[in-house]
Amino acid sequence: MRHFHALVGWAICVLGSYCLTQPTFAADSRDDRVTVLEEKLDRSLKLIEQLTVRMRELEVQLANKGTAAAPAQSAAAAESSPQTQERLENVEEQLAQLTDANAARGGGGPGVPLHGFADVGIGNHNANEPELKGANVGSLDIFLNPQLGEHTRSLFELTFEVNEHGQVESDLERAQLGYQFSDAATLWIGRFHTPFGYYNTAFHHGQQIATSLRRPRFLLFEDQGGVMPNHTVGAWLTGADHLSDGKLTYDFFVGNGQAISSGSIDARAGGVDRGSAIYGGNLGYLFGDTLDGLKVGVSAFRSNISDDQQTGRITRVDNAGVYFAYDTDRFEHIGEFYRFNDSDRTLGGPAHRSSAGFLQLGWRLPLAMPYLRYERAVLDQNDNYFALQAEGMSYFRTAVGVRFDLDAKSALKLELAHTRNTDRLIEQWNDAMLDYAIRF
Amino acid sequence: MQPKHAIWIFSLLLAGNGAAAVADDLYLACHAGVSIAATDVRDVFLGEKQFLNAVRLVPVDNMAAQPAFLEKVLKMNGIKYATTWAKKSFRDGVNPPAVMANDAAVLEFIRRTPGGCGYLEMEPAEGVTVIAKY
Repeated sequence: MRHFHALVGWAICVLGSYCLTQPTFAADSRDDRVTVLEEKLDRSLKLIEQLTVRMRELEVQLANKGTAAAPAQSAAAAESSPQTQERLENVEEQLAQLTDANAARGGGGPGVPLHGFADVGIGNHNANEPELKGANVGSLDIFLNPQLGEHTRSLFELTFEVNEHGQVESDLERAQLGYQFSDAATLWIGRFHTPFGYYNTAFHHGQQIATSLRRPRFLLFEDQGGVMPNHTVGAWLTGADHLSDGKLTYDFFVGNGQAISSGSIDARAGGVDRGSAIYGGNLGYLFGDTLDGLKVGVSAFRSNISDDQQTGRITRVDNAGVYFAYDTDRFEHIGEFYRFNDSDRTLGGPAHRSSAGFLQLGWRLPLAMPYLRYERAVLDQNDNYFALQAEGMSYFRTAVGVRFDLDAKSALKLELAHTRNTDRLIEQWNDAMLDYAIRF
Repeated sequence: MQPKHAIWIFSLLLAGNGAAAVADDLYLACHAGVSIAATDVRDVFLGEKQFLNAVRLVPVDNMAAQPAFLEKVLKMNGIKYATTWAKKSFRDGVNPPAVMANDAAVLEFIRRTPGGCGYLEMEPAEGVTVIAKY
């Protein structure tokens, strides 16, 4: 029995030792690569030295073949050593400059940094298409942000998704070129995420970054049934200013007024045929030491929206919102609330008031991150803006989920949810879903 | 010594040998003439502060000293650091610091690059501005 205990103890110690040595193995692996590179560099330098010696010998031989100028050529051959040394130093200087340029550009490697996200799922309902069930391919999101210079910035996001018919669709979700004046001001032009609230700019199409399995339903992207203008094509000035105990963040934007086409919002990336526009802003305060991790803010936008059901009709959408986010090592709590005050600018008539919001509470535990979320949207069905959208009905949803970080770049998420549509087409359903998301 | 005791001692030695070593001292240095506040170091290495007046700051990571830097200065582990940068990169289009192999590479980069900043295990000689010692 004592031998048995000794064996068990031995096994536990070896296992513990194995776990403790993992970071060292990873570091060793990197060191090995560096060592291999250093060895290659040494071999290259030796080769250069050999070639230099050989070149010197050939120059001396050529000099010896001369007759009258032989003494002078011998002198030149003798001087070739410092010239060669100078050339070598020039080459080394150029190599160092290339290395520095790569490092200064960021990313640590040559070429344009390529990143991306992908996810797949399975459940009794598709996360964004409740009428479908079984296994599904979520999205493949290719993300590029080449650093073009000290002040010029760029960001491109190309997404491939599978629609409800099983066909692959591609979208240029973001295409932004920006000029960064300072930490306090960057001006972007292109297609960007409309900076209302917190969620829409904090979490993008890559589901691996988000804690939850899916976005709040009313914040889903336009082609997935969301009712907010998540994307704007226009100009966006954004920045932050450090204050004594925190940071003030701001966003101002103006762009093409969206249109409702075939039941969903179209950002009109190609331009508008009439003078409608969207404009708005967002002011936030990120607390420092005293309430580290807490951000609170307000946002508002006005958009003049056309539709494909009645030529010339413009619906003015006025939206105001408040939000908070508390993101620390232990918690991720997010809450947003929006009020709509919309009116038909063509026919006149009364304004239509609607509201939508959600509260999500998440806890960062050692092995997993459980979360709870409640969503509610009360959307006036006499408002053209919602009535013309295929998914513009009122609803509430409660969800409970858990996220497991399998490693730094992949996560497994489980979610159980209950959803009830409370007008237009009253129905309810329960979801049980799994999503496997990665980033690279 | 009984064999059981020898096994325990050997196992503990093996475990101790596997633990990652953390450097004693760290020096944060920037290109000569670039003097950021020590309180801004965290913001610089998390991409929140990218300019010092008109100079673009170019932080670089030091592979050999990164665990100590993350623990002592940024107060986070490697996974949190990578996740923070993934979010930052995806949201703002900013790339994370390039990774250098060791002190020598970092020092050479800082000397050559206006706005370059990095951390070192050994106190740097002349030619750079030492911002802080941790």
